[in-house]
Amino acid sequence: MTAAISVTGLSCQYRDHLALDDVSFDVQAGSITGLLGRNGAGKTTLLRILAGQEFPSAGRVLVHGAPPAENEDVLRRLVFVREDQAYPDFKVRHALRVASWFYPNWSPARADALLADFELPAGRAIKKLSRGMRSALGIVIALAAQAEITLFDEPYAGLDAVARQVFYDRLLADYAERPRTILLSTHLIDEAAGLLEGVIVIDRGRVVVKASADDLRGLATTVSGPVLSVDDFTAGRDIWDRRQVASQASAVVVGPLDEAAWARAKSLRLDLAPLTLQQLVVHAAAHPASAAPAPTVPVNPWERTSA
Amino acid sequence: MRTWRDVARYHLVVPWLFLVMPWLVLAASFAVNWQIFARHAVTAARSGDTGGLTAFYIFFLVIGINSIGRSLPFGLALGVSRRSYYTGTALLGVALALAGGLGLTALQAIERATDGWGVGMRFFRVAYILNGPWYLTWLTSFVVLALLFTYGMWYGIVFWRWGVYGVIGFIGLQAAALIVALLSVAWANAWPDLGRYFGLTAAGLTGVLAGLVLLLLAGGLATIRRATV
Repeated sequence: MTAAISVTGLSCQYRDHLALDDVSFDVQAGSITGLLGRNGAGKTTLLRILAGQEFPSAGRVLVHGAPPAENEDVLRRLVFVREDQAYPDFKVRHALRVASWFYPNWSPARADALLADFELPAGRAIKKLSRGMRSALGIVIALAAQAEITLFDEPYAGLDAVARQVFYDRLLADYAERPRTILLSTHLIDEAAGLLEGVIVIDRGRVVVKASADDLRGLATTVSGPVLSVDDFTAGRDIWDRRQVASQASAVVVGPLDEAAWARAKSLRLDLAPLTLQQLVVHAAAHPASAAPAPTVPVNPWERTSA
Repeated sequence: MRTWRDVARYHLVVPWLFLVMPWLVLAASFAVNWQIFARHAVTAARSGDTGGLTAFYIFFLVIGINSIGRSLPFGLALGVSRRSYYTGTALLGVALALAGGLGLTALQAIERATDGWGVGMRFFRVAYILNGPWYLTWLTSFVVLALLFTYGMWYGIVFWRWGVYGVIGFIGLQAAALIVALLSVAWANAWPDLGRYFGLTAAGLTGVLAGLVLLLLAGGLATIRRATV
């Protein structure tokens, strides 16, 4: 399999602010990857560079094997929906009509269906839309475009839970019907976790985690119980975090636990709970140095399956 | 080619600003001037000139600025390259200038035939620059309209990319360039030569302005290629 997106040594410098610092990763064609990180971590800048909207200061970006900047052969096969997309002074239906001219795979039927799903009024001026409705418009364009690469930057800012569920359902249905490469930046990590096959976590412009979602799910485990038992169990293991209240303690153990470890925990009357993706990301972003779970995670999470 | 055409269609998806407003502005300016001339007859002391036509030309500067504005980020979001966006928009500007120039030429012919709209008004005839045969009127007004549209586009790009301070800097640079040019002419004692040059006919001036359009087009293209959204 070839990489749909390949980023090598990418940096982006704004005056005194290094938005991206030596970022490298590949995204295989036909996968859904989460781009996670805190506000200002560099997610939007990265996506803008992938979409040819921003220029890198250093490094190389290849989309379908070619640099995206000013390259319409690449850009037409890519759709980018950003949270703060600016639209001209026109109505929802104008935006859809214009988009239909530029995307070779545009599906008018899909656009109509999505408009209905999101209850988006086609005749309303875009500047009169609420924040959630603007987000919905971006989603309609991104899904109706049926582009080979779909980049979402916080696509559902302001959307209510029902509309977000519509988004997940439609995205998965479309993806199953017409596989494509999706890169999704989001803050609602646990909500989107079920969709994600790969995860890239950025913090302060650097990639701190890149792994398959499956590998991450077993990566760290919270161990809790009596202090002595916890200390006994965690001795000799990598620990991210340890808390103690009276005689009870809990610690986050890094690295996959084998069956013997589970059995031992049971005999010590310890509770084991795998960290959710969101907890992992929070941890990785809070302690970028200690996080570095790279050695335990394949550099390219898809290598095993694609080999 | 197809992309250029689609960029032009994108601007016209709401045709109001580009196709209707310039003529509404022209009609308003004309109506005000005609009212005045209808009430106060032209005398020996008062010529029939109005200057009201300027409104139409200024509006081309406005639509040039607006052709970038918030249209650029959505255009780039649709997978259009900056080069194509610029080319398509500039071609639209050229087409609008051709049509606008043709309209002004027709109106000028009517003005001549009706003895200044029945009140001796010289609205579409402007001494020296727009006072020749119909083809020259068309050519000159086309070039000037295209010039203003292109100039507006460049301002739009600078404003989008570098904001108000960028525009101030841009104006400052132009002022500096103008001062340098004036000083160079003065130092070279070239005023008489320049005088002969600008002593040209309206057609000659049109040629100079056409050269300026090409310069502005190149400058705008160089600027938009650095623009980010």
